[in-house]
Amino acid sequence: MGVKKRISGCVAVANGVKLADVDVICSYPIRPYTGIMSELARMVADGELDAEFIHGEGEHAQLSVVYGASACGARAFTGSSGVGVTYAMEVYSPISGERLPLQMAIADRTLDPPGDFGSEHTDALCTRDQGWLQGWSSTPQEALDMTLMWYRIGEDPRVLLPQYSCQDGYFVSHILGEVEIPDAAQVKEFLPPYKNHHVLDVRRPQIIGAQIEPAMGPPLQYQRYQAVEGARQVIKQAHAEFAGIFGRSYDPFVEEYMTDDAEAAIFIQGAHAETAKTVARRLRNLGEKVGVVRLRVFRPYPTQEVRLALSKFKAVGVVDNSANFGIAGSSGVMLTEARTALYNLGDKVKTVGFVGGLGGEMITHDEFYRMFAKLKEIAKNGKTDRDGYWLPFEL
Amino acid sequence: MTSSKLFEEPGLKQITVWARGVYENKEARDVVVAVTEAAALEGKFVQAWENYVDLPDRIFVPVRAYGKISDQPIESKYVYENETPDIVALTEETLVKGVPILGGIRPGAVLVVNTKRSPQEISKFLIGDTNKLKAVVTVDASGIKQGVITLSGAEGATDASGIGGGFSGPLAGAVVKATGIVSLESLLQIVKDKAAARAGYDQARVADAKSLGLAG
Amino acid sequence: MSFKEVPFAGTVPSPKRENEGMVTGNWRTKRPVLDKDKCTDCLICWISCPDACIDQSTTGLAFNLKYCKGCGICAEVCPSNAITNVPELDYAD
Repeated sequence: MGVKKRISGCVAVANGVKLADVDVICSYPIRPYTGIMSELARMVADGELDAEFIHGEGEHAQLSVVYGASACGARAFTGSSGVGVTYAMEVYSPISGERLPLQMAIADRTLDPPGDFGSEHTDALCTRDQGWLQGWSSTPQEALDMTLMWYRIGEDPRVLLPQYSCQDGYFVSHILGEVEIPDAAQVKEFLPPYKNHHVLDVRRPQIIGAQIEPAMGPPLQYQRYQAVEGARQVIKQAHAEFAGIFGRSYDPFVEEYMTDDAEAAIFIQGAHAETAKTVARRLRNLGEKVGVVRLRVFRPYPTQEVRLALSKFKAVGVVDNSANFGIAGSSGVMLTEARTALYNLGDKVKTVGFVGGLGGEMITHDEFYRMFAKLKEIAKNGKTDRDGYWLPFEL
Repeated sequence: MTSSKLFEEPGLKQITVWARGVYENKEARDVVVAVTEAAALEGKFVQAWENYVDLPDRIFVPVRAYGKISDQPIESKYVYENETPDIVALTEETLVKGVPILGGIRPGAVLVVNTKRSPQEISKFLIGDTNKLKAVVTVDASGIKQGVITLSGAEGATDASGIGGGFSGPLAGAVVKATGIVSLESLLQIVKDKAAARAGYDQARVADAKSLGLAG
Repeated sequence: MSFKEVPFAGTVPSPKRENEGMVTGNWRTKRPVLDKDKCTDCLICWISCPDACIDQSTTGLAFNLKYCKGCGICAEVCPSNAITNVPELDYAD
């Protein structure tokens, strides 16, 4: 069995990376993810982890370094936050296109402006369609577990895709939470050594990322599409194996909280889900039929699971912690994707978007309370007046 | 509709430590970590964290570290600040001047200051809700043990230099004596320099707020 | 806060002399105190102060304690030892 410690989300991820026994790490500092790299630098310096630790000259270089490392057959790790994530944007698609299953941790930070340190999912969500796997943790424990889980899933020969392991900046990355750090032997059982389909090797020269003709576009994109779609099955399998070995089980795609007989639910991802759960619990004590559904995996989007989970309710409030200006429905990407998942059910479930916590502002108990009150009204009247509300200005 | 009553957490105690940027970030963090870890040994639910929006990399800027201790699972978890502290500690005496250290304190709060000066002298500088204070406590923690200046442990990373090896030990000792938030024995199990923490406990000068003319 | 109270695009006028949004006097743990008898008006402290907190007045140099962070550079550079760093709590104000 592992050891229990109170650590931050940053240290939790660093422990996951250490347990995954990565070979190459490339860093560049930006708050709030920095703590992951300072912890890994300490681990390497203290001889706890045998890995190449390379300090990149920027985020574009970071991703380029791990791209090369992964192509050479190394298990590679990098990470960033906020504008660092967007600065590296060019390199994401080549990495998934060459089917290199490296991992990037993102501790969310708002983009500029306002240029503060606060968490907002906008940075990571900008990268959502780059052919990577992507999911959000809501506690330091889940951040550690997701690090291991993503390597296991991404490196599976049926998948071979890079992964974004996302956590809310500050709320998860900086607040200490109780974490069980698993035993290295358990991890070894769960995560086999990294072995890619094609490895750069001077003895067998090959070109990766070669220039192609347009005719090669459709088949190559279709291959990548199939890999992302096919990851769903592997995600389920890996979660089952994880539960068997570590004794901690997660619903692979969506976590349901107090949803039995619920009429209204909040659909949300990331740390603020924990606050939403508190509010739902307190409202349950008052006899309100409310629950929370937390999305754990954003890519591949679990269409079936979301449909199944949300179709039981009369009203669903979809919380977006990102700024998606001009988006359909004028709310956020969580709402548009949830609505797409629910579309074939007709107008059975009323959905409404809530944009909150932008710039890293907390989504308070009272704000969730107001959201639930609005949902109760929608469930009762069976209609919505509008697509979405920006908190706190519109609700 | 208001929900303020709905989300009360009656058993929750909040501790806020004010410090000077860069020099004392670690000592402030060590005080909250030492006290909350000691409380965890006693079976309490705890949380410790550093302020995220103060400017911790500016020398001398007032910065904060926070702790929460409760008999119940802590529900107000993902917040930036302790809104209503029960214990306020200062790693350095001049923070009593021009810094809103008593902001939001709950009735019966205790102030603990690392200083050579007496509670009487310190209380002359206090502004704000002084009538809510139960006691003012001073201890020459820096005289007992020098502070440790390090960036290790910053930004949520592990502090490789250990917990409570500097003046945070004696300062936490004074907090324990003045508030009884944990037992001295529990604290001593956590801190690195046990003799210094015990000295802080022994040497702390606890003055009742009424005797200082502060109580309303 | 209402979104209407926030300046358009977050753009604000630059402070011309003092920034009321960033008063730094409470960063100070030690206060610079000038001995006017020793001061030769050489202005080395004035040009060395990183926060431009030393004012030239008709009655000699004066420290702007609203912003002085107490870094002690002025005392360090003074060639005639006219500036002393005194613990802040020795003063009631």
